[in-house]
Amino acid sequence: MGEGKSEILQGTLDLMVLKTLEAMGPLHGYGIARRIEQISEEALQINQGTIYASLVRLMQRGWISGAWGASENNRKAKFYSITKSGRKRLAAEAENWERISGVIGRVLRIAERG
Amino acid sequence: MWAWTKVLASRIGGWLGMRRVDEEFRQELDAHLELLTEENVRRGMNREEARRAARLKLGGATQLREANRELRGLPLLETLVRDVRFAFRMLRKNLSFTAIAVMTLALGIGANTAIFSLVNGVLLRPLSYRQPERLYVIREIVPQWAKSVPLLAANLPDFQIWQKECRSFEQLSLAEALEVDLSGAGEADEIYGMRASANLLDLLGQSPALGRTFLADEDQAGHDRVVILTDGFWRSRFHGDPEIIGRTITLDGEPHVVVGVLPASFHFPKTIASNTFERIDFLKPLGGARFYEQDLIGEFDFVAIGRLKEGVTAAQALSELNIVQAAIAKQANENVDLSAVLLPLEPEIVGPARKGLVLLLAAVGAVLLMVCVNLANLLLARAPSRMREAAIRNALGAGPRRLLRQMLTESFLLALIGGACGTTLAYLGVRALVDSAPIDLPRLDEVSTDGRVLCFAVVLSGLVGCLFGILPASRVSRADPQEALKAGATTTTEGQHARQIRQSLIGVEVGLCTALLILAGLLVSSLFHVIRVSPGFGVEHVLAASVDLPPQGYAQVDARAHFYDRILRELQTTPGVESVGWVTLLPLEGQGSVTGISLPGAQDRPNEALHANYRAVSGDYFRTMGIPLVEGRFFNDNDRGKRVVIVSRGLAARLWPGTSPVGRKCVAEWGQLRDSEVIGVVGDIRTISLEAPPLPMVYVPDSYGQETPGAPGFASIVVRTAGDPDAVAGSVRSIIQNADPNVPIVALRPMTEVVSQTLEARRFQTILAGLFAACALLLASLGVYGVVSYNVERRSIELGIRLVLGAGYGKLLGLILRQGMVPVALGLAGGIVVAAAGARFIQTFLFGVGAFDPLTFAGVAAIVTAVAAAACYLPARRTLRLDPMAALRYE
Repeated sequence: MGEGKSEILQGTLDLMVLKTLEAMGPLHGYGIARRIEQISEEALQINQGTIYASLVRLMQRGWISGAWGASENNRKAKFYSITKSGRKRLAAEAENWERISGVIGRVLRIAERG
Repeated sequence: MWAWTKVLASRIGGWLGMRRVDEEFRQELDAHLELLTEENVRRGMNREEARRAARLKLGGATQLREANRELRGLPLLETLVRDVRFAFRMLRKNLSFTAIAVMTLALGIGANTAIFSLVNGVLLRPLSYRQPERLYVIREIVPQWAKSVPLLAANLPDFQIWQKECRSFEQLSLAEALEVDLSGAGEADEIYGMRASANLLDLLGQSPALGRTFLADEDQAGHDRVVILTDGFWRSRFHGDPEIIGRTITLDGEPHVVVGVLPASFHFPKTIASNTFERIDFLKPLGGARFYEQDLIGEFDFVAIGRLKEGVTAAQALSELNIVQAAIAKQANENVDLSAVLLPLEPEIVGPARKGLVLLLAAVGAVLLMVCVNLANLLLARAPSRMREAAIRNALGAGPRRLLRQMLTESFLLALIGGACGTTLAYLGVRALVDSAPIDLPRLDEVSTDGRVLCFAVVLSGLVGCLFGILPASRVSRADPQEALKAGATTTTEGQHARQIRQSLIGVEVGLCTALLILAGLLVSSLFHVIRVSPGFGVEHVLAASVDLPPQGYAQVDARAHFYDRILRELQTTPGVESVGWVTLLPLEGQGSVTGISLPGAQDRPNEALHANYRAVSGDYFRTMGIPLVEGRFFNDNDRGKRVVIVSRGLAARLWPGTSPVGRKCVAEWGQLRDSEVIGVVGDIRTISLEAPPLPMVYVPDSYGQETPGAPGFASIVVRTAGDPDAVAGSVRSIIQNADPNVPIVALRPMTEVVSQTLEARRFQTILAGLFAACALLLASLGVYGVVSYNVERRSIELGIRLVLGAGYGKLLGLILRQGMVPVALGLAGGIVVAAAGARFIQTFLFGVGAFDPLTFAGVAAIVTAVAAAACYLPARRTLRLDPMAALRYE
């Protein structure tokens, strides 16, 4: 990660990757990175290589699976898709995230009013 | 948890197929880069620009692949494997260093592990009984006798009253050591066992492996013809016959039915029952009180063990017990009081051995510490040459932590190899240690190398590896590439800091060695003092044969007297025999038949009674044993059955101070005889051991009084020989066996052996301590030698220049010696302080020397100084003898 780009928490990136795969179906690394950048309207500039660490972690936990296929320009590329346990995990993590961000938001508001 | 194992499995899979994983990832990255580039081109960049931007956006491919490898594989294991492989290469490259290191480590760790096995078996492993913390040994106290016998074993009728009256105990058991003759099969054999309450096994929480335990009614007289065998005895004597239950064996001529066999794991603390038994072969029930066991006060012969009821404290139990004891004293009406003490079973068993073992462990630990110091010094001396290598690695990107880890791997590997060899040594050594250990060391039969000992060895090896590796490793890992890579860096003088570290290590080593030498010196000096103690009898040329007359055929006094008379008569005519006699209990074999002796008219004031050891002897006993006559006369044949006694000099001085007792009357309570006449005074002998001061002794002629003691059932026949006593041993054995093959010879040995046996424990301890101290001295001298020779070698150029410039040989030698001896002197001073503190701890082991014995302290200081000076002088001389020009040309 270079300077000037917003740092992303490891778990957050994993969550985003999972969500992207759930929404978009099978994608290769480039596609996922691109998609996350687009969704965040280019606000999140990730060093695209870091996506692969996240992909390895998710594969190792069995939440996504990977298979070789052909890319848009007809090159060999690895396509990742979310697994059943990945979907379950995503649901749980998303709910967790909602709760925590809600709590943090409340705390911040209270602090502001202070 | 599940996810974690999945990750590990995937990592292991990745690690195994790393080449393929790596290749696939490269392809994936390539595809990614291509897609990025194409997009950039679409955005209007030219191909070259687009590719550059894509690389920037993706990140460094090498770093990504590195990160991927670490994430997919097992990075920790991988570096470990690499480090271990590298360490192996380094160790193989320096074979001589490796061999020395492994050997010293093996000895150090092995010795520690062996001694720890002993400590583990004796002190650490809990007693293998159910809830051992609730078991207490009960001892009785007669305050009026407390001066001579502070604590008494238990008495059977008293115990029976406790059983009825005391509510604090869940169970109470009584046991007595017993030697019986096993006959019927081959030569009569003396076997060892215990006569114990039927509930003893139950109280200890043990049950037989075969058959049954004793029944309650087997404690009654007449029902006690049953035995339970120990596993060892069952295997050795009956070849582990599973059909043994129900078989009859003959003990002391009486048939006994075998009803059970104990498990191999059963251990009874033999030191509790008897100090002289090497093993326990069988248990038999109490069988009621014998005719001589009826008195409420007297025959304090049993070990009593009680199990406290849940929730009852020892103090509560004791106060209840003492109320019962007071009632017993009143009932006995013998003008004495009675009380008791409760002693926790475990300390009672191992207590006496604790200090000695802890001392040994400390000594052997100090030796290991010195091994570490020596190795650390060796490694430190090699550090400069490793610095170059470390500096290059550092320059190539290995951080200090990585370097530290690699260096430590090397020392850990050394320590583990040494530890493995050491543990093997210890495994072999423990047997030898147990065999040579004194038999009165408690729980010796439970010593083995178990899991805990192995754990100890592994942890110790790791600790040792860390200890000797950390200093050199941290030094090397902090190597400054700039400094180390300068041309000729090896010849620059070493930093002040490094030298100080090595000097202080030498100081520590010399200190430890000094302390150990002083403590060992005190013990050795004590041993010599003990050996020089005169036992009060002539040790040389005396043979002693102990016999135990079986009850069959020897129930009558006359039969016993006749047997001894016949043996003595036949022995007298044997060639090589000068004189013969017998005694109920040999000197140095401990106390026995302890009863009061007083002046006539004093027996109503029991406080004034003196307690003496009574011995029945034959007429020629004193001459044979070499016990000198002080005044009066010895017994002769006419004294048989007369009321005459011979007393020891010490007793005479206490009972008749300032006057001669010969011809006076006294009240000898052994045999309850009122007026006996003193006919002689003989020299004092050592009764218990060479170390214990002489006790008052009363000798009575055989057949003294009528029944008690009469001619005893157990006696030692002593023979004074003209030459080597062992030469007569064969004739003695055959004469006894010819007289009656059913009489077992319990022991047949020269008196020198009896003396030597009493020294066993002390000798064992002293030899081990001396051995450790000698190792320490060797290690310290090697350490000093190594450091000094390293120093002068490094400075050979400087010394060469000085020599050329005209510095005298003597002056330079003095310089080297001074520098080498400074840490030695400091260590010596420190060691003396440590020894002075430690000497107080071992004071109870000392005999004849004070804890601060100036001779020992000064002697050790002189030895250490001389050895260290020699260790300094040798390398100094070697270097200074060299041609200075040669040293300079070496540059």
